[in-house]
Amino acid sequence: MTQTSRPVPRRTILASAGALTAATAASAAASAGVAAKPGQEHRVFQHGVASGDPRPGRVVLWTRVTPSPDATPGSGRGSAVDVEWEVALDERFRKVVRRGTARTSAARDHTVKIDATRLAPDTWHFYRFRVGRHVSPVGRTWTAPRATASPDNLRLGVVSCANLQAGHFSAYRHLAKRDDLHAILHLGDYLYEYGPGQYGYGQSDVDVRSHVPAHEMVSLADYRQRHAQYKQDPDLQALHARYPFIVTWDDHEVTNDQWAEGAQNHQAAEGDYAARRARAHRAYDEWLPVLMEGTAQVGDGTRLFRELTFGKLAQLSMLDLRTHRDEQVPTTTPSPVPTLEARVSDPERTITGRAQLDWLLGALRRARPQWKLVGNPVMIAPVTFAQLPTDLVDPVNDVTGILPRDGAPYNVDQWDGYTDDRRELFTHIRDRRLRDVVFLTGDIHSAWACDLPQDIATYPLSESAGVEFVCSSVTSNNLKDITGTPARTSSLVVEGIIQANNRHVKYLNFDDHGFSVLDVTAARAQMDWFVIGDRRDPAAPASWSASWATASGANHVVPVAKPVA
Amino acid sequence: MSATLDRRSFITLAGAGGLAVTLSSAPGAAARPAADRLQRAYVLVLDGCRPDEITPLLMPRTSALRSSGLNHPYASSVPIMETIPNHVMMMTGVRPDRSGVPANSVYDRSLGVVRDLDKPSDLKARTVIERLSRDGFTTGTVLSKEYLYGIFGTRATHRWEPAPIVPVSGHAPDAFTMAATLAMLEQHDPNLMFVNLGDIDRMGHSDVTGPVDLRLLRQAALASTDLQVGRFVDALKAAGRWSQSLVIVLADHSMDWSRPDAVISLQPAVDADPLLAGKVVIADNGGADLLYWTGAAAQHDAAVARMIAIAQATPGVLSAHDPRRTTWLRTGPVGGDVVVFCRAGWRFSDPALHSNPIPGNHGHPATKPIPFFLAGGHPRVPRGASASAEARTIDVAPTLTDFFGLGAPKGGYDGQSRLPRRR
Repeated sequence: MTQTSRPVPRRTILASAGALTAATAASAAASAGVAAKPGQEHRVFQHGVASGDPRPGRVVLWTRVTPSPDATPGSGRGSAVDVEWEVALDERFRKVVRRGTARTSAARDHTVKIDATRLAPDTWHFYRFRVGRHVSPVGRTWTAPRATASPDNLRLGVVSCANLQAGHFSAYRHLAKRDDLHAILHLGDYLYEYGPGQYGYGQSDVDVRSHVPAHEMVSLADYRQRHAQYKQDPDLQALHARYPFIVTWDDHEVTNDQWAEGAQNHQAAEGDYAARRARAHRAYDEWLPVLMEGTAQVGDGTRLFRELTFGKLAQLSMLDLRTHRDEQVPTTTPSPVPTLEARVSDPERTITGRAQLDWLLGALRRARPQWKLVGNPVMIAPVTFAQLPTDLVDPVNDVTGILPRDGAPYNVDQWDGYTDDRRELFTHIRDRRLRDVVFLTGDIHSAWACDLPQDIATYPLSESAGVEFVCSSVTSNNLKDITGTPARTSSLVVEGIIQANNRHVKYLNFDDHGFSVLDVTAARAQMDWFVIGDRRDPAAPASWSASWATASGANHVVPVAKPVA
Repeated sequence: MSATLDRRSFITLAGAGGLAVTLSSAPGAAARPAADRLQRAYVLVLDGCRPDEITPLLMPRTSALRSSGLNHPYASSVPIMETIPNHVMMMTGVRPDRSGVPANSVYDRSLGVVRDLDKPSDLKARTVIERLSRDGFTTGTVLSKEYLYGIFGTRATHRWEPAPIVPVSGHAPDAFTMAATLAMLEQHDPNLMFVNLGDIDRMGHSDVTGPVDLRLLRQAALASTDLQVGRFVDALKAAGRWSQSLVIVLADHSMDWSRPDAVISLQPAVDADPLLAGKVVIADNGGADLLYWTGAAAQHDAAVARMIAIAQATPGVLSAHDPRRTTWLRTGPVGGDVVVFCRAGWRFSDPALHSNPIPGNHGHPATKPIPFFLAGGHPRVPRGASASAEARTIDVAPTLTDFFGLGAPKGGYDGQSRLPRRR
């Protein structure tokens, strides 16, 4: 896609909206490559608008156009088309501050991704796209404050794990209704790869809605069609139009339990894994308002780990914990039964990859802002059993290598399966006494608030490296759904066992679905959990469930009596 | 009109609790500030205190004071995270390459000895104390440690010589320091008082329960010092000074504890190297070692590279730096040719393994976080607020000059005022 942009001279701003309308109406559909049959209104903008990765004075804008009825997602059909875009300070576009033109085609599935620059920092903007006489819905977005600014707060909606087949995205709808957020942090599993009947609602995997295409996504066309389906969900469309997203992927954006060279849900019959992942990444790059390889260009690289800053208040390091990791350790016991497999602590194994870990260590070390937030797709807090002090385990392992360093984990797909990376990261934090490190996590379809012990066996007598807040799933099944038991019955037993053996886990809810709101001020970071009603109900209500916070410098979480709003 | 003194004079007062306190004053100094100089600023240094130690349970008065004003939860000591350089940075507002005071302990090339920077002439930069005096304000120093008393010398209008001194620690207990503070407050009521309370640091250094995270001695000191902070606040309010006052509470560095087996001794390693043997002197600063090349100038660069390589290969070392190339260090020529930091939970012991037996140490990056907050009743002090900007010890002098309306000195400050801008 070629992209041009230009600033709008101040004196032309007020006249610009009308002029643009007249000009584009005159050029009409033909010059834009839009085909519509007489008497039949063709919808060019069927997938909404979105924005993402807010930075000081710039933000990524996104849409997808359907220039002709046959130019369906993944079809490879439809002509190339010029798409105009504009950014204004007001919803009626009387104060347009930036505009430009981008060309898109079937080669990129007719998606449009713009890095809108030279905007005012810490400012709400409105944006829209136009193809001929067709105008997109208006989106609203926000630019981050300058590095030298001292914002009073940063408030993010926090979500993960949205399986369309498992229910309606009411969590998104309730977030979209709020007017107090700055952005949405999506921690992965934005979409799922499964075909109908493979992973749905509850123990019986009932499809509340069925995936398109009607099979597991494997080809590029599959991935594009699935993205397109999700982008047509009204709740997700509303949230995208309302706030900029900051996203990372977990495994299902490619396929279940993916690692660097394979995945649990990839079989040889599905072809070369690397090629499949490249297709998935390509579609992700096309369909999400995200900077990959540091740019809004599509296809110039797939590096997803990146850093965003919000004045002196906070920086956010977004991780990619799938692309570079070693294969999960095979366990002799099925998850979630704890395993004593010592390979989880093998220093040669990594969840981040060396380059990403070095980048993260550097980002934390150099950090100028107060809060060091980490967008972390899988849990970093150890959740283990039968722990021994590291002062005892390390010498034993130096000789024998027979013990997992932080105890027997119940889930080796998390950082618990790669404990040496965690050890290095936590040691780095301790050696430099880095303060106010907060991991924000998804993946596990449950709500957690945890301290991060340097030595789990001796905690709380030993130090904490920071805290972790884990959001629940938007719709994906959790423990009660899997066991088929009523809420707050069997889950309470499991939660009790985990917390009794992991004193740093202060809050745990295995039963609910919903969203979270993170509010960061100079004094504290607070996470509020909201739960939704039945996922089958497209109008499910939401209610506040719990709030936990960490005071600056404290490195531990405490309960809070009420949400920030 | 205030009475003036025509020579440095000494007075002995009965301090609170019946303790005798001897204060000295500069020749010609006014016994009390001029009546039109209403502002009062107090810098209370809780030596070695960690920000996470100020809790409502352990330090209720200090915690309440912090909540009442403008807290900087993200505050830092500046390398080298030691007592003397950070107190100097508080009062000068400039980094060690400008003040000449990079560490507690340095190698004095002219004398050929490792010594503390405790002489008034060691401090090359002008302090805010002197700047205030020049502008007609009065000042006072109440510093519990002998070397602080030494380096700040007679710069203040009024000063207290720490006494009684605890053997080995070289400091006066906080009860005596606070008695002197209150006595000076009552007798001279200076515009600026610079107070160091040393118990928290000294108990931390010697707390053998520190490495196992019990910190029994330390916690007792924290509770005790908190009482002294409370006495000070009560006295200010009783004297009717609160509404005119800015109270800056901070630490110079924090504290980290090491086990007996987590000790680094670099001197034997450098002495085993053919190039370096006998030509490197180390000034041990607990969590930081300063290495000085004493050999031929022509071999300086090679020696620096070799010292860094040896240090980086030593277990427990976090990092080793050539200050000429590590621009953020700014330790200057006095601070050695190589600066080495240890990891958390370790300490240096040079020149020999038995040279530094104490478990509590600082100087390394793990001891960077400090408490830092502004309190007091002056209208310029925000109430119940927090700021995300990183505050540093070096910000104290700019804050004071902002408060007193002095403006920046020649060459400017390296720090910045933490008071909200005047409207």
